Amino acid sequence: MSERKEQLEEFAEERASLLKITTGPLIWAIHFVICYGLVAVNCAKGWDIGMARTGLLVFSVGALVAIVWVGWGSWRQWNLHETGDYFNSWGRAEDRHHFLGHAAFLLAIISFLGVVFVSLPLVMLGGCS
Amino acid sequence: MTDHRQDRSALPKPSGPYPPTEEMLAEPVPEEVRQAQAERLRKVWATPKGIRYWTAVNNSEVGKWYCLTALVFMLLAGVMALLIRAQLAFPESELISADRFNQLFTMHGSAMMFLFAVPMFEAISILLLPGMLGARDMPFPRLSAFGYWCFLIGGVFVIGSIFFDAAPRAGWFMYPPLATEDEGPGSDIWLLGLSFIEVASIAAAVELIVGTLKCRPPGMRVNIMPLYAWYVMVVGGMILFAFPPLIAGDFLFELERSFDWPFFDPERGGDPMLWQHLFWIFGHPEVYIIFLPSIAIAAMIIPTVARRPIVGYSWIVLSAVGTGFLSFGLWVHHMFTTGLPSISLGFFSAASEAVVIPTGVQIFAFLATLMVGRVKMTLPMLWIAGALAIFTMGGLTGVMLALAPFDFQAHDTYFVVAHLHYTLFGGMVFPVIAGVYYFFPFIQKKQLSERLGRWAFWLIFCGFNLTFLPMHLTGLWGMPRRIYTYPTGLGWDGLNLISTVGAFIIATGFAVFVWDLVRPKRRQPQIERNPWEAGTLEWTHDVPEEAWGIRSIPHVTSRYPLWDQPEMQARIDAGRYYLPDAVEGRRETLVTSVIDAEPIQVQRVTGPAWITQAAAGFTGGAFIFPTFHWYPPAIVCAVLAVCCIIYWLWTSTARVPEAPSKDAGLGLTLPTYASGHASVGWWAMWITMLGDATAFASLVFGFFFYWTSQADFPPEGAMHAEAGLVGLAGVGLALSWALTLGARELNRRWAVGAARACLAVAPFLAAGGVAALLLSVWELAPETHVYPAVLWALAIWITVHAGAGVIMQLYCLAGSLFGKLTPVYDADIWNVSLYWHFQVLAALVTCAVMGLAPGVL
Repeated sequence: MSERKEQLEEFAEERASLLKITTGPLIWAIHFVICYGLVAVNCAKGWDIGMARTGLLVFSVGALVAIVWVGWGSWRQWNLHETGDYFNSWGRAEDRHHFLGHAAFLLAIISFLGVVFVSLPLVMLGGCS
Repeated sequence: MTDHRQDRSALPKPSGPYPPTEEMLAEPVPEEVRQAQAERLRKVWATPKGIRYWTAVNNSEVGKWYCLTALVFMLLAGVMALLIRAQLAFPESELISADRFNQLFTMHGSAMMFLFAVPMFEAISILLLPGMLGARDMPFPRLSAFGYWCFLIGGVFVIGSIFFDAAPRAGWFMYPPLATEDEGPGSDIWLLGLSFIEVASIAAAVELIVGTLKCRPPGMRVNIMPLYAWYVMVVGGMILFAFPPLIAGDFLFELERSFDWPFFDPERGGDPMLWQHLFWIFGHPEVYIIFLPSIAIAAMIIPTVARRPIVGYSWIVLSAVGTGFLSFGLWVHHMFTTGLPSISLGFFSAASEAVVIPTGVQIFAFLATLMVGRVKMTLPMLWIAGALAIFTMGGLTGVMLALAPFDFQAHDTYFVVAHLHYTLFGGMVFPVIAGVYYFFPFIQKKQLSERLGRWAFWLIFCGFNLTFLPMHLTGLWGMPRRIYTYPTGLGWDGLNLISTVGAFIIATGFAVFVWDLVRPKRRQPQIERNPWEAGTLEWTHDVPEEAWGIRSIPHVTSRYPLWDQPEMQARIDAGRYYLPDAVEGRRETLVTSVIDAEPIQVQRVTGPAWITQAAAGFTGGAFIFPTFHWYPPAIVCAVLAVCCIIYWLWTSTARVPEAPSKDAGLGLTLPTYASGHASVGWWAMWITMLGDATAFASLVFGFFFYWTSQADFPPEGAMHAEAGLVGLAGVGLALSWALTLGARELNRRWAVGAARACLAVAPFLAAGGVAALLLSVWELAPETHVYPAVLWALAIWITVHAGAGVIMQLYCLAGSLFGKLTPVYDADIWNVSLYWHFQVLAALVTCAVMGLAPGVL
């Protein structure tokens, strides 16, 4: 019984970890699609773009917070402070665990920048013209 | 989610010591045992001789054919480019006719993209990946072979059209209405021929992803797998999300061409912009689909020449994954001048600039590795250096073009031509040639000439800059793309002549390169085993060549095992590691867990067969005959193709093994059969269905796109799908799914009779559901307006998929009746129920769109 439970836990961790490294970029992607889709429909249907802009900016802040949260979690998983290991280049379970944290952390940074970039037009451009 | 049920399975679990201890590995293998094992292995993996050579499915053979075919197509497309340049050398030239010119530039672009760049990535990966992963072969060798033969047939068909003056001529992106209204079969050849090839591409992507996830050697956790494997995984994923929208677009486009359904005709509610969206959702990621794996070759070469591990492994993984995601946010930058709202352009401009960050990161990681290493300037490194220089130039003009106001100016001029060739030569052609020089000893067990290689490099490098650098100026001075001639006196004459001269210098360089590749090398001495002193597994290959892939599958503990595990080579050769033998005379490879690569199964892989060619040939017929509106032979071919594939699956996949488990070496006993998500087939189905779901989502996107772009969608007083029948269809298909799932569970609980009953009833419910769906739209006239047309398209999509689903249900029923599918060995029904999960979702979404949309919109 305990062996089976162990196996299950390991499998659960496997899936969670692989998903985790793409969480940051996924948030970026969802943010991007919603921004583009909402603005496109607004412009096509001639609805009020001001409302959509405000809503999307609030949504952008939410996306950034979510990415920071993912980044914080993965920073802890990377665990650089305690191990001092930047490279994690060996075939140990621990190295793999830290590596996935490191990759997820870096991807969170990129996703953060991506969300900031995509939100800029909302701030800087007027509307549909 | 299903783990507890999986665990109840009667299949054995892996048992025995793992990981192997140093003492176990140090124990010598007696010489006679080793010889006998090698002999059995050699016999099982032998490449067929004579005419039967062409039945080979080994990754080493299929990969070679694939590479050479893609190379030939590239050379043909290159000759087309030379003709284009010859025509443009002088103003008011009449060397070739305008029509011929249109065919040439359309085919040049199409062939380079679809017949060279993407297939070349797949070809190289099929050839190299098993070596890098220490696998015997890919998990589905016959699928690779099938993909190759499809590619060959489709490629010859598409590129051959130019010799009959029937080639497509509306530009490689086939914009409607130019392409939809074009007379003659050109556009159909493009649509059907290339859809056929895309199917092969997706097949290869599935193979490569599953290979990377499940066929790594024991111990090769995700943090130590070669960077090339990371890139393959990312690019495979990108193919799954990028190609299906184009397939959906092709489907709509061909319905318009063949049956006059007005998807892109604005007069009947259609919209040409939908094609542009679907095309570029594919088309932009496509650029990165060919860039990433080529740069992955650089990631393999650079540590070797720098003689140290790559700097910033995680950073490169970041840039591969990051680029993979961000590259999907760029498609509209090909559509900046189509009049989209400026704020939308802003999003895409921002995303286009953002993608520079991960792309830059990987370039800097390479430079850092070179800086801290002791670089040996080998020939492959020369090509990589050229690639970095040229790609950086292309990247800089890319940043310029990503700014919408600049793009408005440079749009459709030769500036864009210059930019795209810089990125593609720097990002793809140069790294691939570097890879050819670097990996040639691995592939052919011979060396290419250093001297010829340097000649080829300098000719191509100088010729390239001579051709494309002036085009920035020609473009900025206003010369549009795709014009067949131009008047003198606009300042373009001299620059065009220089470009043409440069093009011929590139061609000379390629001639030198190709000569080096094909010249007889029989008298060349045998090469060293690891001529570049590299650290990765592919360099444990056997010289002279053996067809078994790897003598025994090692336990890997670091990123550069040949550098860090000095005894490994001798132990592989001695058969000290896993699967050193083929006692049952079956081809086998090791399957490991996804993240930590723990051995879980001995996978039986398929061997040589003619059936793959037959299947590819009939599939080709099903795609090619409709080009000429010959539908009856197309239908016959489609039926025969299905028969071939069923025969092939029935006779060689998921067979009940002669023993439930076997000794895999080093005391480890592994099961010989797996079902559910432990099996490679399940992963292949899952991945294929992700791609299929993306294509379906693109169709649904089309529906809502018309709603936003057309004020009258659905038009006033339009007939809608019969809501009652739509509801009935949903119920029928959902019940069919439930019965399939029920059959799986009943079968697992040994209620075989009940499971068979479920499988016997399920097809009738599916057929009934489909009949109701078709009846619900029967009265609608799809030629009149895009609204009925799109409803019909959705209904057809579901019908075809339900047809496949029914075949699968009957396949399982037959399997159960004939003992191929038992309560223990039930992989088939797991895969089929996975298919039906996706199918029921698509059916319910379709029913919701058809039945509810008229009320809501």
